This record gives sequence, C-alpha cells and structure tokens, in this order.
Amino acid sequence: MSEGVIHDIGYRHYDGARLGSAYGTRALFVFTLRGIFGLGRPARSKVMPFFLVTVMLLPAVVSIVVMTLMNETAMTYTSMPTIMQAVPAIFLASQAPTAVAPDLRYKVLPLYLSRPVGVTQYVLAKYAAMVLALFLLMAVPLVLMFVGELLVDMPDEPLRTQQFAAGLFTSLVLAVLLAGVGLLLASLTPRRGLGVASVIAVYMLCLAISGALVGTFESVGRTTATEWAWLINPFFLVDAVRVWLFGGEVASGGTYPPGPGPALIVIALIAFTLGALFLRYRKAAAR
Amino acid sequence: MHILVTEGLTKRFPGVTALDQLTVTTGPGVTGLVGANGAGKSTLIKMLLGLLPPSSGRAQVLGLDIATQGAQIRRVVGYMPEHDCLPPDVSATELVVHLGQMSGLPRTASRERAADVLRHVGLYEERYRPIGGYSTGMKQRVKLAQALVHDPQLVFLDEPTNGLDPQGRDEMLALIRRIGSEFGISVLVTSHLLGELERVCDHVIVIDSGRLLRSSAIGDFTQATSVLTVEVEEGTDALLAKLTEAGQTVTPQGRALLVKVDGPGTYDAIRDAAVELELCLTRLEQGRQRIEDVFREEVAGV
Repeated sequence: MSEGVIHDIGYRHYDGARLGSAYGTRALFVFTLRGIFGLGRPARSKVMPFFLVTVMLLPAVVSIVVMTLMNETAMTYTSMPTIMQAVPAIFLASQAPTAVAPDLRYKVLPLYLSRPVGVTQYVLAKYAAMVLALFLLMAVPLVLMFVGELLVDMPDEPLRTQQFAAGLFTSLVLAVLLAGVGLLLASLTPRRGLGVASVIAVYMLCLAISGALVGTFESVGRTTATEWAWLINPFFLVDAVRVWLFGGEVASGGTYPPGPGPALIVIALIAFTLGALFLRYRKAAAR
Repeated sequence: MHILVTEGLTKRFPGVTALDQLTVTTGPGVTGLVGANGAGKSTLIKMLLGLLPPSSGRAQVLGLDIATQGAQIRRVVGYMPEHDCLPPDVSATELVVHLGQMSGLPRTASRERAADVLRHVGLYEERYRPIGGYSTGMKQRVKLAQALVHDPQLVFLDEPTNGLDPQGRDEMLALIRRIGSEFGISVLVTSHLLGELERVCDHVIVIDSGRLLRSSAIGDFTQATSVLTVEVEEGTDALLAKLTEAGQTVTPQGRALLVKVDGPGTYDAIRDAAVELELCLTRLEQGRQRIEDVFREEVAGV
C-alpha cells in the first residue's frame, strides 16, 4: 500500500496513433476557420466577425417579419449577396489578413513546414477555410430566410426553391472568388493593417471604376460597353454568371453580357489568384 | 545506431557555398553543432528536415533519406527554429495542441501531450494567456514545447539559448540535458558559443564556413586540453616563474595563469609553489572554456 502521491511522473512517451498529412490539413483548416471568427482568440478578435454576421442576418430577419405580417416577399434570394455586398467585402478585408498574415509576419510558417504538411496542403487548408467562412456569412441568412418562408407558408406565393438554390450558388461562387483575391492580397502584405487596407482599397476601386464607367457608357448610349462595365465589380460579375445559368432578375438593375463570358472570367480569375497564391507561398517557404 | 549520417553534403546558393562536403556521423544523445553565425548551421538543419535539397552529397536522418523521405523524417523529428516564430494572439496551449495535431496526433492525444510538454518545459498557469505577453524566456520554452509535442525521436534545436539571460540560459541547457537523457530523445543543438555546449553535449561537431573542422566525443575535447585556471592575490609573475621552473606549461591570461594538467603532479606543483612563495591562492579551477580554446587553436591552424 502506498499512501504517497507521485507528483512528477516523469516524461511519458507517446505510442498512440500518428495520422497522415490529410488529417493535419484538416486540423489547419479547422484552426484557421476558428481563427477567422475569432474563436479561441481574445474577445476583441470576435467583435468584427460577429458584428458583420449579425448585420448580414438583419435583412433575413426583416424579410421573415414582412412575410409573416404582410404575407408578401420582401427580398429575393439572388439579390441578397449584391445588396449586402459591402458586408462580405468588409468581412474579407478584416478577416483574410487574420487567416494568413500572422503566419508570414511572425514567421510561423517554418513550424508548419517542419511537419508532414507541405506548402500545397497549407495553402489549400487556408483557402478552404476562407471560402467556407465567406460562404457561411452569405448563405446562412439565405437559409434562415428560406426556413422562414417554409414556416410562414404564404398562401398566395409559391415556394421560391429554385431562386433559393440560385442564391446559394451565387454565394458559393462569390466565396470561392473573393477568398482567393483576399488571401492573395493579404499574403502580399504581411502587416495586418496594410492587408485590410489593400483588400478594401481593391474592392472600393472596383466599385468606383465600375460605377463611373457604367454611368459614362450609359450616358453616351454604348450598351455593350455598359454591360461589360458592370462586371468590373466582382459581385455583379458573379451575378452575371448566375443570370446566365439560372435566369431571374438582374441584381444590378442593368443588363449583363449574354453567354458564358462572365463565367469564363470568373474561372480565369480563380485560377489566377490560386496560382499566384501558390507561387507566393513557394517563395515564402524557400526563405 | 546512427542518428545522423551525412556524406559529402554540399549546398551552394548563388554566390555562396553554405555547406561544403560535410561528412559526419552522430549517435544517440546530445550532439552540439558549433560554428560562428553564417557557418551553415541553419542550412544544415533545413536540409536534414528535407526542406532544402542538397546540391550534392547524401544524408540520412534516423535511417531515412533526406532527398526522398522528407515527409517521414518530419513526422518523427522536432524542430525549434532560431528566430521568433510564435503568433502573439494565441495561447501557448492552443498553439501547441494545434501543432501537435499538425504532426498527426489526434486532438485528445494532442491535448494531453501539450499539457505534459508545457509542464516539462516549465510553463504553468501562463500557458492559457496569449503568447504576445510572454517574456523571451517563456517564448523559448513554448518553441521548445512545440518541437517536443509529438514525442519525436530526434529534435533539432537551433540556437535555443539565443537572447536568454544567464539564468534562463542555464535552465534551457539543463532542459536540453534532460531531453537527451531522461526523455530519451536525441538532440542536435546548435550554438555559436562553444563553452555552453560542453556542459550538455555528448558529442560536438564544429563547422566553419560550411566545412567540418572537427567532430568528436566531448571527452576527446576535454582530455586534450585539461587546463587549470590559477589566480593569486599578488605575485602572479613569481608564481609563473616558479611553475615554469618546475616544468609546468603555463600561460598568463589577464590576472590568471592557465596551467596545463599533465597529471596529479600539476596540482602538487601549484600547491608547493604557492606555499613556498607564501602566496594567497584565491582561485584554482578547471578551465571553463576548454572547447573554445581548442576551437581557437584549430581555426588558427586551418
């Protein structure tokens, strides 16, 4: 019988499971996703993401209230991402640097690369986390609105299932496109503040140029040029892809170039940003 | 069993040869890798991790080839970088658990291991606070903990005592000694200070400008250069003359005399000389910087 307590049990070896790099990639994905929403970080890191999530949910709540009280639809699923476009843009600007900048600025990357994960898996995990975060931000309000519509069950209005699907599609394509642009810009400027500023600047620039060109071309009556000028804004670019595939009203209020043009631009942009992101990290890893 | 084998390992960057025909072999235990800044220590570690392909030559870590089995090496090896590498807004626990998972440990196992290693490196309540508020000593401990979290067979510690105060340095060195003996994890530790490595290493490799100067067991270093530091209050010159007369090899160094130990007779000679000259002997000490002296001699000889 021993009554003593052994406090220092000494070093214990680990002989349990050692999982592969796919598991490590997933762990990094979850860690990054949590970081984007400030989970497991100090309270001040949670303020911005959760404020923006709340703002995104407001129109959905208003829409449900309108459906309940007035028995009519207040907002289309497809117009939601474009009407609220400033919110995903700010979310991207404030949170994309959170996902990639500290690892570069504080040189955390070598801690990852000295483990089984490689540069490719690292970039994919970061990218996937940013895509999912943006998708959740834009899609959750749509889902909430759709659940509301199911529950309210308006007698005069048919269920807008196809439009809901089109809205989810827009959110997904936007998430994939914006995540790449945001991470690329943020990874080029490892200081978080500069990252935030550069992402927001690029968005504002697109918004302003697109608006100015649309106005100019419209006033001189050049319809085709006006149609293409809309697409400089990434939100309308993706909206144009949605219109081409699903039909429905044009969220910008104008018209888009017909055919697969916008879709090809989106694919090219995604390929470019991903490629540039890989090159950026290949270079960062070699240091 | 060999922990580390390199054969003619060479790394050339444009304009500079970081590592030149390095051929060394080390066994289990603590191995010191010594060299001035820029001698190629960090380059060697990156190559041994399989992150930097060699220009020529081969190397094996734990029997795994660095050119083809890098991923397997990184699974069973830990790495503590020389530079700062910790994100400030995460707690030590959160970071070490996460990096344990990155090494392939399931989440619950990683939590347990992280708690264990953080305790072993001497981080307690503060491990729940964001790393940004840590002192340099605490940060070095976190860096060490993340290298140990997956219970590696070998750890590469790149300048672990960098930036530490003398007490922190002593604690870090004691910890490294424990990792090598008690934990049973082989260690390759780099430093540009030779003196501190002799206290913890079984084997020392000295490189300079990417070339091997010397690789041998710690005993070989000290045997060859066992030196006594002798200090008296006054009459250093008289003592020097007396000892030289008695056939001892003596070199003055500042206020002290360095006496080469030929055998037990050396101690007697010093004692007798001090008594005869009626000197006040204030210091009689085994030379502290033995390896450095060897190093100095060898660098001078190259």
